[in-house]
Parts: sequence; C-alpha cells; structure tokens
Amino acid sequence: MDTVSLSWPADPNSRIPYWVYADDETYQKELARIWYGPHWLYCGLEVEVPTVGSYRTLMLGERPVIMVRRSSDEISVVENRCAHHGTKICWERAGIVEDLTCPYHQWRYDLDGTLLGVPFRRGVAGQGGMPNDFEPKDFNLRRLKVEIVNGVVWATFASDTPSFRDYVGPEMWGHYERIFSGRTLRVVGYNRQRIHGNWKLMLENNKDPYHAALLHVFFATFGLYRPDQKNALEMDATGRHACLTAVMAKGGANQVTGALPGFDETIKLQDSRLIEAVKELKGEETVGASTIFPSVILLQQVNSMQARQIVPRGPNHFDFVWTHFGFDDDDEEMRARRVRHANLFGPSGYVSADDAEVIRMVQKGMAPAPREGVALTLMGGREIEKSSNMATEAAIRGMYRYYREVMDL
Amino acid sequence: MNPAADSITGPVQFDAVRALYADYMEVLDDERLAEWPDFFTEDCHYQIIPRENYDNQFQLCTIQADGKKMLLDRVQGIMRTQRFAPRRCRRFYSGLKVTKIEAGQIHVRQNILVMQTLIDEPSQVLLCGAAYDQLDAQGALRFKQRIVVTDTDTIDNALIFPV
Repeated sequence: MDTVSLSWPADPNSRIPYWVYADDETYQKELARIWYGPHWLYCGLEVEVPTVGSYRTLMLGERPVIMVRRSSDEISVVENRCAHHGTKICWERAGIVEDLTCPYHQWRYDLDGTLLGVPFRRGVAGQGGMPNDFEPKDFNLRRLKVEIVNGVVWATFASDTPSFRDYVGPEMWGHYERIFSGRTLRVVGYNRQRIHGNWKLMLENNKDPYHAALLHVFFATFGLYRPDQKNALEMDATGRHACLTAVMAKGGANQVTGALPGFDETIKLQDSRLIEAVKELKGEETVGASTIFPSVILLQQVNSMQARQIVPRGPNHFDFVWTHFGFDDDDEEMRARRVRHANLFGPSGYVSADDAEVIRMVQKGMAPAPREGVALTLMGGREIEKSSNMATEAAIRGMYRYYREVMDL
Repeated sequence: MNPAADSITGPVQFDAVRALYADYMEVLDDERLAEWPDFFTEDCHYQIIPRENYDNQFQLCTIQADGKKMLLDRVQGIMRTQRFAPRRCRRFYSGLKVTKIEAGQIHVRQNILVMQTLIDEPSQVLLCGAAYDQLDAQGALRFKQRIVVTDTDTIDNALIFPV
C-alpha cells in the first residue's frame, strides 16, 4: 500500500482510518510494538498447569509458546521453537513432561528453557559434531517475563514492562479482583473460533456499549444489558484498557425499549434456566467486561465467566480462544448452570455469534478498499472519559489514542 | 448391527433408524427449524461439544440443551434474535451403526460432516466429527440424547445452525 496515504485523519479522536484494519505493514508494526512490546499477554490460568512438568501450548501474537510449571510456585513461558531449527518442541495442546525435548534432533531443555543437551555435540568417533566455539548457553529457548496474578498467568516479551498491577492501573484492578479474588479456579472448558476480521475489532466490540442492545436482540429482550440499566464505563489512565459494567433490569417494554428496533415483547424463553443467575461476586453489577489490551477480554455475565484470548493471524483474521472457568468449590448445580449459561457465548452464542458475524461484515465492508474511508467514533462526543451512559464510544477513542502513541501515527 | 441382539431390533428396526436420520437431516438442511425439536423427547440432552472438552471431561459445549424446551428456545434464538450472514448448511453422515440396544433405547453412532456455503465464497467444511446418540424406541423413534463431538478444533467464524 502507498505509505504516503497512511496518515491519521484530522479530528483524530473521532475517526479511525480503514487501513489500520487491513494494511500489512501496519500489522507487522503492531506485532513488534504492541504484541512483542511492553504489554502483558494472557497465557492461561494457573490451575491449567497444576503439577511440575504440566504444560499447555498456545500462541502469543504470532509466536508459539509453552506455558509450563517448573516448580510448585513458578511457571515458565518459553517460545515453543527449538534453538536448532525452529521446530515446535511440544506438539500437543497440553500434557506433562520431565523436560522439553525437541522431537527432530533431540535437543533437550529444562523446564525454564535452558539448553541441557545436544546429541552428538562431540561428533561420532571423533568425526563431525559441533565446532568448539559452540556455546550451549547462547541457545536457550527465549524466556518471557511472567507474572501469576490471583490465579492468572501473564507473560510479556519486553523486559521493561511494568508490574501487571501497574500495567492495568487502579481503575481496572478492582474489576480484575472482582473475578480473580484469589479463590481457586476450575476450568469449565474451551471453545475456539477463527473470526475473519482484524483483531482490534474484537477489542472495540467489547469496549462498545452502544451496539449491545441494538445488535443483540437477545440482550435487549431479556434485559441482560440495555440502555435503561444502571451502567458504567471505566478506563485506565492510558485509555488502552476498559471495563463495562451494568446492573440487570427486568425485561419487558418501557420508554427505552421503544428506541430499540429489535426489541420484541412477544419473544419469551420456554426454559428460563438459560439466564437464571445466582449472585456470587461482590458488587451490585451483573455483568463486567474488561478488555485488557491487547490480548484478552475477561467477562462475567449471569454465572458464566470467560477469558477470551485474541490471537492475531494477519490483518484480516484472528483466532478467538475461549476458556470458561468457575470456582473449584462449585457445587453440581453451579457446574450445570455455568454450562447452560455458556449458551450465550462462544461460536454459537445467542449473543457472541452476532459479534463474530458483524466483525466479519465490518472487515468485508472496509478491507477491500482500505484507503477509501474512515470509521466514526463520535458517539458521546470526542472526550475520553468514563461514562454512565451506553450511548458512548469513549473507550474505543481511548484505545486508539493509546494506539496512535505506540504506533507513532 | 447384530439382528439377533434384541427383540426390538432386526432389519425393520434398522430401517426405522435410517429413516429417522434421513428425516432429521432433511429438516435441518431445508432449514425447517421449527420442526427440529419434535425429533427429541421432552427430557432430551443435546450437545455440540469440542473433542478437546469431551476427551478431558470438561463439560463446556458449543451448543447445549437440557430438555426440549431449550431446543425450542434455540430455534427462537436463531429465527428471531440472532443476526448472521445468510448461509446454506448441508449435513453428510456415514458409518451409521447401532452400538447397543438396552431398555428400549437404541444407541447409535455416526460420522458427521457439515458443509457451509456463504454468499461470494466457495463451499467449505464447517464441522467434522462424530455423533453419539440414544434413541427412545418406545413409540415413534425420538432422540433422548444427541451428542455431536467435533473434531474441528477451530470453528470458522460462527456455528449458527444445529447439527
């Protein structure tokens, strides 16, 4: 693409040029400055790797990594590619190992990625082998900086990333702690989908209360999230993270629902267990959606809690990996309830499938002609401030203010 | 199947099983969704579940219903509240096998392939997996359980219609 045309439009808080969603050079710069820069990336839950040697493989940005427990209180995150030839070392999604051994030539690393052994390093019968200047210590696996924060494992490729708590800031910390209070977690299961849109669109979607009751007829009809509710939008000081909360109201019609084109009072549930929730977390809010830039959305609604990890795959696609979790001491009823409530979310979710479909259509609308237009983010004005009104795009403006700074745009 | 396995089995019964699946797929392929829940008993269990969860005893599904009412709610959701790109889905099944007959229940497994066609796109595989079903054979054959385990690790964008 002609780089001359790639400048941010005037009135920057109110406009996002189409090319940020489609241009490959911009995408490469995002990988370097955002995904591999001073940002904490979601890896998983501590309980997913319960014993020494248990591991999970995942992607951070476009890099394959291994999250592995190396001691009772330490978890390593190392690149899942052998220093010899770049081969993926662990091929399964999860398992348990004594060390990390590459299947190709059996190079062996410890659970922190330190190279322990190279077969035939001294050759065979004095012939072949590695040259004398080969130093194993120069060929460890790349180790990421790791923090375990109330049961969640975070990693960063940069050495100068501030502590996780400073990274999210005091505004977000309370929302984080509401779900991750230190109570032992339990994995409910996984769902995975590949969404044909730019990765930033999913963060925008979860920072955008404006769309929720308009796109999602399910939300509007059953009163799960809509503009007549008490609600709040908060951001950290940089604007990159945000949290939306609301307090569920009764369903049914009122003055506000008249302005929701999809609202239909004749839509009823035959089995209301689908949305019948039990209060379990502190605070009056019934929904909390935190976007932790750039890699994850942590969301609680009814009795469903999920980490939704974003894995970028070029400018036009991303994988969306859902880890649903509950608490270790959930009784049978709560276990069943979490599985039922999960019907709202994921690739087939009553609500979430709408988002996947609309994101694809955003991409289809603008990616073919990325220099031809801009997206508007004028709802609620040009300010980047917290709000208690759903007719706002302030959190999207906040993310792009930070984005322009990091990307020098 | 072994035709001598049970008094309710035999070639006639197997034909009835085959006819049930032919009718079931036809209703879904033709998007006659309102008719879909009638293939199930009131106390049915329906799941589309990733193999990653099924094999590791994680309960999370992609679509899940306890009872026919939840299937009716799913139909209402698809037809009246969800928004999605227009598409055609067509289901192909093979290896239909009766694995057990017990207490008026016929256990059936089959392989499942779902092809999806979107506007302006070539047709593609949406889902590949196996179904483990229990049919209630007391009266007209109905699904008491249908568990579709998906080998497909990553769903292409969204899975809207049931399987």
